[in-house]
Amino acid sequence: MKRTIIPFGPQHPVLPEPLVLDLILEDERVVDAVPTIGYIHRGLEMMVERVEYTEMGFVAERICGICSFMHGMGYCVSLEAIMNVEVPERARWLRIIWAEISRVQSHLLWLGLGADAFGFENLFMHCWRMREEILDIFEKTTGGRIIHSVNRIGGVKRDVSDAELAAIVVKLEELGKAFEKTANVFGKDPSIRHRLSGVGVLSADDARAVDAVGPMARASGVVMDTRLSGTYGYDQVDFEPVTETAGDCLARVVVRMREVQQSIGLVRQAVEKMPKGEGMPLENKPRGNPVGETYTRLEQPRGEVLYYVKANGTKNLERFRARTPTFANIPAMIKLVRGCDLADVPNIILTIDPCISCTER
Amino acid sequence: MANPLRLPMVPRALRNLVSRPATRRYPYEIRPRFEGARGTIEFDVETCNYCMLCMRRCPAAAITVVREDRIWSIEHLTCIGCNVCVEVCNKNSLSMAKESKPVHTHAEVGPQGQRPGHEEWHGPDPAIAAAAKAAAAAT
Ligand code: SF4
Ligand code: SF4
Repeated sequence: MKRTIIPFGPQHPVLPEPLVLDLILEDERVVDAVPTIGYIHRGLEMMVERVEYTEMGFVAERICGICSFMHGMGYCVSLEAIMNVEVPERARWLRIIWAEISRVQSHLLWLGLGADAFGFENLFMHCWRMREEILDIFEKTTGGRIIHSVNRIGGVKRDVSDAELAAIVVKLEELGKAFEKTANVFGKDPSIRHRLSGVGVLSADDARAVDAVGPMARASGVVMDTRLSGTYGYDQVDFEPVTETAGDCLARVVVRMREVQQSIGLVRQAVEKMPKGEGMPLENKPRGNPVGETYTRLEQPRGEVLYYVKANGTKNLERFRARTPTFANIPAMIKLVRGCDLADVPNIILTIDPCISCTER
Repeated sequence: MANPLRLPMVPRALRNLVSRPATRRYPYEIRPRFEGARGTIEFDVETCNYCMLCMRRCPAAAITVVREDRIWSIEHLTCIGCNVCVEVCNKNSLSMAKESKPVHTHAEVGPQGQRPGHEEWHGPDPAIAAAAKAAAAAT
């Protein structure tokens, strides 16, 4: 049969990110897809040559506007490992709290975009309305809605009072209750089921073979969560990674919905377990310049992110590299797109939660 | 075909028809920014001693300090609001205001001509300032 090539992107039907795929079609069926990356390359990693290591954290934060807190945290954690700086306990808990709140924020954003992708405008509005309240929490506690700039090497810059933390937990739990109703729509609506269930199935074996990460792998039943390794204080909270077994688009939606509730629970646990009081130490300033190299893994909303930092004892790092979750999930995406209908392509691409700004840095 | 009245979103959609909007009527109703939000850098020309620390530490290179001529200037459109300069200043000359200008339409005169968002302060010449101080002390 005659093959047609359809260029898909850089203007994506739903995603405001320049993802580029060349879809090779036979009739309506996609037989292959060729991804091209590089449309939004900004050369942030190269900036270590010009920006001193103390300020590079602000650049790292700007890798992505949705996981910005975790990117800043990942950079600081790497430098703390190289320079042997101990982070004060309260600062560590605050980082967990902010990280989990940003997970809720990211998943709500994605669920809204997902709803928009299958044409459910009303649901999209509701998810984004809830996300707005979370951004308000961020503005109150960190001073910024999207770029938080609170992470410093050795700790965090701002404290949140115990009363405010308690209020945040109450607010998040209310939000969780309201979200349950919305989640009900995602789970029960027949048009959503029709659009998503059984589409783009990734089996557990395939997920392992293509090295899927994050919710993508967990929706196929692979238990994989960097937080399980217990670093950065996650060993002191109880949680089970959310997994589903179906591996289709609906399972990926369900995993993220359940993770919203899980993260709200984690914030509550962290607030209960953190040391209380005013004026506790939040930052241990590092001394001298860093020497050495390290790898850091974190669980971002989209999956595992990996930072590599190499320092040579000068004010500028020698190398800074970030391998982001979307980059790791591109092979899985190509695998899913092969063999599906053209009309399902936007949905499948969206359910991996692609962040091209992260991927191309 | 599903019964439209039993679709899970229908009650919510019907409620939306009569409930108040979730958004504000923006230009008429503006939510003030929260306490501690990072907006614009404010500078106090009286206390600065032109040590240039803020200029050296600014990650965005938004601040220019010329010690000899006592000039302190900032590009508000380059500033990323990271708060580093406020933290490093030993003289507490800098502070972070929670409000920020939504647009910089007004082009102020900078070293390279007209530029929006450029703001510049000229401190008193140290010799003149010392003379003024001495004169004030004498009277
Ligand atoms: S504002 Fe502060 S840091 Fe900057 S030159 Fe003046 S005294 Fe130094
Ligand atoms: S807030 Fe940050 S970017 Fe802005 S002038 Fe100060 S140091 Fe520079």
